[in-house]
Amino acid sequence: MIEKNAKSVKSLPAGRDITGGMNRRTRPATLRFYKEQLLRVLVHIQEHLDEPLALEALARLACLSPYHFHRVFSGMTGETLAGHIRRLRLERAAWRLKLCSSPVVEIAFQAGYETHESFTRAFHAAFGVAPARFRRRKGARAMIKASSGVHYRDRKHPRSFRAAQMKGKPMNVSIKHMKPMRVAFMRHVGPYDQVGKTWERLMMVLGKEGWLGGGCQCLGLCHDDPAVTPPDKIRYDACVTVDAAFRAAGDIGVQVVPGGDYAVMTHFGPYDNLGASYEKLLGQWVPRSGRRLRATPSFEIYLNSPDSTEPQDLVTDIYAPLEPD
Amino acid sequence: MNTKLDLYKVHKTEYVMPRQPALVHIKPAQYLAIEGRGAPGEARFQECIGALYAMSFTIKMTHKFAGKQDYTVCKLEGRYFGDLAAAPKKEWKWKLLIRTPDFIGEKEMAAAAATLLKRKKPAEVKEVKLETIDEGDCVQMLHVGPYDKEHETIALMQHFAEGRGLKLAGPHHEIYLSDPRRVPAERLRTILRQPVERI
Repeated sequence: MIEKNAKSVKSLPAGRDITGGMNRRTRPATLRFYKEQLLRVLVHIQEHLDEPLALEALARLACLSPYHFHRVFSGMTGETLAGHIRRLRLERAAWRLKLCSSPVVEIAFQAGYETHESFTRAFHAAFGVAPARFRRRKGARAMIKASSGVHYRDRKHPRSFRAAQMKGKPMNVSIKHMKPMRVAFMRHVGPYDQVGKTWERLMMVLGKEGWLGGGCQCLGLCHDDPAVTPPDKIRYDACVTVDAAFRAAGDIGVQVVPGGDYAVMTHFGPYDNLGASYEKLLGQWVPRSGRRLRATPSFEIYLNSPDSTEPQDLVTDIYAPLEPD
Repeated sequence: MNTKLDLYKVHKTEYVMPRQPALVHIKPAQYLAIEGRGAPGEARFQECIGALYAMSFTIKMTHKFAGKQDYTVCKLEGRYFGDLAAAPKKEWKWKLLIRTPDFIGEKEMAAAAATLLKRKKPAEVKEVKLETIDEGDCVQMLHVGPYDKEHETIALMQHFAEGRGLKLAGPHHEIYLSDPRRVPAERLRTILRQPVERI
């Protein structure tokens, strides 16, 4: 964000770098590990479709930290957790329309809809036909298209699913070993697209005190996933690397971003597409890399300033923490 | 609350980026400047960039904190002196620049340098100077690609100038729109500017 000469992080020797050629070097053992973890979650969801299904509990079930769970889930299955649950509840409703004679309104209620109308709308959007007509129609299939191939089955559970393939341009990911970074930070609680104000204040206060310069870097540390946490509850730390002389004061705190291995991918373009890049890195690249995610937050390093850069020219590195090899 | 001042937008006729050479007129402009010698990208060059940005941000943020006019820190620019084609890169003389509003003066410069030195930030900040440059009539064009291929664009600019009874005069000026650390060389965008005079 600030400097052209920002100190670049130390890369591991080229031999350990698994940039490019991912498909050839996919490590089946970890992909299997991640698939098994997620399968457990998918089975649990089907068994508990009438329950609230909290993200934290599902993350625990998958042995993944809540930091990463949702990105891995959506990156691997191709749909958000909420989208997946909603789809399965609709598929179950379709089964019930066919198999039992309960009134539509009751089935709507079982599927989590409060009114007949909202159920009909959602059902029509998914199956292209209203519930009552679906019930009458012969041979109507209770399935909504899903790339994972996981569908609701009466009293049967999924035994496998198709993990989303890495599509499009090959992902350019490298593994970097990072030293712990001491950062001055200011916390923003609220919608992700409003972190700009926090950044402005942090940069102003640090800048006037002479802390910007000499290779400092700007990091964003998101403690919640904007895809699942309500906007007003998202916790985001705007961070600038500082040396040991910096002392916390006022609304600016100090923390240490853990060192260790990170999978790093560069995101080009506007910040509002960052979520998709996180999903690709955590949900598609990592499971095929032979490495496992570590239970500390991911972060992003901003390489240019949104102040003087057009959105399409913004460059951001995304860092996903890995367990030691 | 004042709106943020963006000098590149205020002076947008000076930052045109045509894919063919064009004549532009550049009014006198104030810059933060630091000069050196050696190949671009070498340690000294990078340290100077660091010092220039450190000064730019410290001055800007101090100004903003005091509740005065906020402004955008402009992009990095560079001027290169002498015959670049003849001299080896390691002997190139250059001056790195960041355009800065006129309301920034020596007082702000001195205060920022003192603040940075107190934080043990690079000693080069002492070498950053305020400078007004008056380029007048120039030929300007967008160069897309590696810096090493700029001579092709410059040849087009020269041909264009000669066709209008002008010759290239004064130091070659470039405005870096892309970040060479991340953008692949073939996609780097740089505005090339060359002051001209009548033959």
